[in-house]
Amino acid sequence: MVEEAKGEFEPKIIGFTCNWCTYASADLAGTSRKKYPPNTRIIRLMCSGRLDPMFVLRALLNGADGVFIGGCHPGECHYIKGNFYARRRIAAIRTILKELGMANRVRSEWISASEGDKFASVMKEMAAQIKEMGPNPLRGKVL
Amino acid sequence: MKGVELAIGDLNGVLKGLLEKEVVDCLIIPHSVGNNIAYMLVTDPDKIGGEGIFAPSFSVNAAGLVKGWTIKSKVGLVAKPCEIRAAIELVKLNQIDKESALLISVDCPGAFENQVYADHRDEIGEWIDSAKIEELKSKGVELREACKICSNRLADVGDIAVVRREGEKVVVAALTPMGESALNALGMELEDKDIERKDEKAKIADAAKKNEESLPKIGSIEALEEFLRDCIVCKNCRDVCPVCYCKECFFDQPLGNPVSGDMLNLGVIRGAIGLPTNQLFYHLTRVYHVSATCVGCGACADACPKEIPLTRFYPVITKKVQEMFEYVPGKDVEEPIPFTTYEEEELEDRLR
Ligand code: SF4
Ligand code: SF4
Ligand code: FES
Repeated sequence: MVEEAKGEFEPKIIGFTCNWCTYASADLAGTSRKKYPPNTRIIRLMCSGRLDPMFVLRALLNGADGVFIGGCHPGECHYIKGNFYARRRIAAIRTILKELGMANRVRSEWISASEGDKFASVMKEMAAQIKEMGPNPLRGKVL
Repeated sequence: MKGVELAIGDLNGVLKGLLEKEVVDCLIIPHSVGNNIAYMLVTDPDKIGGEGIFAPSFSVNAAGLVKGWTIKSKVGLVAKPCEIRAAIELVKLNQIDKESALLISVDCPGAFENQVYADHRDEIGEWIDSAKIEELKSKGVELREACKICSNRLADVGDIAVVRREGEKVVVAALTPMGESALNALGMELEDKDIERKDEKAKIADAAKKNEESLPKIGSIEALEEFLRDCIVCKNCRDVCPVCYCKECFFDQPLGNPVSGDMLNLGVIRGAIGLPTNQLFYHLTRVYHVSATCVGCGACADACPKEIPLTRFYPVITKKVQEMFEYVPGKDVEEPIPFTTYEEEELEDRLR
């Protein structure tokens, strides 16, 4: 694979979003024509509590440059505690990935259904940060 | 703590007593096999020879041997502190019924790999002190890496602790009501015994920390790929790990262990895949799965046919997660595993 120069490549970000909030906020961002870069492929989960950290690993091992996880604000989970458990899992997998220099490719945010603006700005910010970081070092490797 | 001081030679009688007085239905304890030490399950008191309980040889993590012990019959497990800590994690994971297990931890001086111990048994014997450890080290005979970075090797977990004292003495102390009634059943006169050993523990922890710092660091995902380069994904490290307990491992199923058509499909999606499949995915998943419960026993490293020094990966990485949750696996049977609980306000600085 040809080395892409930093800043010039278009990162691929996989987003796992909760049906009840962040997924809806993405919808809202779209319908209200908020502009944000089209780097993120969204996968809808019923709750951030459905996020198995293996999803994050698999995305990174398959070459995703970043992984985004969106859920309801703490205390507002549709299933009461899903995002509390999710928060522990995400913190743990990021702690592991930090030891391997990969934690800053994984980001999670609590974004409610009405926060279309926040969704757009987080997407913008994350795409820029990952552009700055350069491609996932595992991209193109035979794993 | 309530306990009793005995001559080392009398320990045998205690173990036999546990069977004779039917405190337990069986014991799982170390015994001599030729030139080495292995575990046995024993029900007949006459079969207890007593040798090897303190022997600094590591074969398997004995907690793995009682995984799934949810029957009513009671097992007494006599093992090193890392093994008893793993057993306590298995209790929390509902893989051992605590009512059916009497857990007895014994002081550990640090252990040698099974094979190394066998080759040097004459020199090492049934116990080893730090002077002798240094002497052997200068001859290139070294403790296991996991033991060098272990700071919890003094017996202080389970229901009963067996503590070494100067002059070929031991203290057998009860740590829980179950332990106390077991010792009472043997007709022992228990008195207050101090087995805390704070200073010694601090010294051990200090040395362990230094040793850990001097281990080669993995440090990046590329370095991990290189570290695991020779892994044949035999999953031995999973099978011997006491706290890797899933009945149906993802990596035994079509997605995790794809064969023929499934393997080809993956290859079509990715252009090329490494074989055997999922080397990195397997280890990253496993390290996450044991991140709260890894007791740092190093059984995985011992079991690797490719001699990958897995101690530099599993215990080292999982420790970071355990520090974040301020959780010491096996320390307290009442303390929930971090992933099974939460606080409403926490960890926000770890998410982005
Ligand atoms: S991962 Fe390795 S060191 Fe940790 S508990 Fe399992 S076998 Fe022991
Ligand atoms: S035991 Fe060694 S070769 Fe087998 S899966 Fe584990 S690391 Fe790989
Ligand atoms: S329903 Fe949105 S995080 Fe649980």
